[in-house]
Amino acid sequence: MTRSQSTRAPQLAALIVIGLFAVSDLSAQFQAPGALGALAPANIAKPRPKAPFDLTGTWLHGGGPDNNFRFSPPAGFKLTPSAQVHYDAARKAQSEGKVYRDEIGQCWPAGLPVIMTRVWPIAMIQLPTAIYMISEFMNSMRVVYLDGRSHTDPDIAVPSFNGESIGRWENDTLVVDTRYFVADHHWIDSGIPGSDALNIIERMRLTNEGKTLEIEYTLTDPKSWEGSWKMTKRWQRVDERDIAEVECLPDLNQHMPTTQSNANVR
Amino acid sequence: MKKMLLTTMLAIAVLAANSGYAHHSGAGIDRTKTVTVDGTVKQFKWGNPHSWLEVEVTNNKGGVDLWNFEMNPPAYLVQSGWKSSSVKAGDKVKVTGRPFLSGDPGGIFVSVTLANGQVLAGGRAPSQVGGPPPATPATQPVPAPKQ
Repeated sequence: MTRSQSTRAPQLAALIVIGLFAVSDLSAQFQAPGALGALAPANIAKPRPKAPFDLTGTWLHGGGPDNNFRFSPPAGFKLTPSAQVHYDAARKAQSEGKVYRDEIGQCWPAGLPVIMTRVWPIAMIQLPTAIYMISEFMNSMRVVYLDGRSHTDPDIAVPSFNGESIGRWENDTLVVDTRYFVADHHWIDSGIPGSDALNIIERMRLTNEGKTLEIEYTLTDPKSWEGSWKMTKRWQRVDERDIAEVECLPDLNQHMPTTQSNANVR
Repeated sequence: MKKMLLTTMLAIAVLAANSGYAHHSGAGIDRTKTVTVDGTVKQFKWGNPHSWLEVEVTNNKGGVDLWNFEMNPPAYLVQSGWKSSSVKAGDKVKVTGRPFLSGDPGGIFVSVTLANGQVLAGGRAPSQVGGPPPATPATQPVPAPKQ
């Protein structure tokens, strides 16, 4: 090693360390410089008004009348030309007893909003700063931030299947705004694609003495349909259930002929 | 009529259960039929999101076909008395399932009869525990109006 190389070595090492930290930060939700994470004790301890309700518990979409697990479009809906292509292909597949792009069956994440009603229970842990929701279905996680932060700058936001959720309390209702979704492999319903322009507003409240969670959805996606779609879903507390580890593994579909058969239109 | 209603209800229940907990669509399955085969267990997987049962069945040409039955997750199966040790490779079993429309060997699991005669079904949904009360059975007799 030459003298000049020896002199530069500490600087190079420092650059590498800084680079590694920068890379590890890329996987996180972007925070303003110096801002505390949702799990930082100092953030949790900040004085805030008491939350009107606590979602901590295990919840299950109940099904039943007027509580369909599907996010089907409302009567009179109008799709964009690009979405209509998918919708028509899905109807054709259905008429032939087939299924169109069942990508959840190919281990793609269900994504919001479908993950919320995917029959499997959802564990929710509410803190003053955030609500952590973990679906038993593929252990899909979403975080609803409540600590007053804003949505990430769109120029640096990382698209995902569950998007970025920011919540605020409005009297007895938690209003959650979710955006920054992936542009493909994400479906709202059979043949209804969700795009990177999807925006989901959830108005959450508890009813039935805290045993029922009701969410009114407003779905907007100008790249896939015109206007906004509204629908309401309900979940029940399932206090005797815990969630398990559930993953879509490479050997799973090798033993699931339904995901491999020619009944799948890809 | 009563029997037909009961059969219809069972069919709906099976459809709901199988479509609900699956990680995939159930397209390609003939929900109106069942098929039963005798064979030897090749593999039994006890796991999430699906268990599965592979059975080697001798065909009418003297060869062996591998029948693959997709099953509910253990949380369902334990409701019907299943354990991870209920079946193992080499066991002689009789398996009933809902077949593939394509005619491929296998389908959605309905029940198994073990060599000792014990019958184990596919399991009911534990997810329904704590949910809304079930609808009044359609087979329940309607009380006669009071005079």
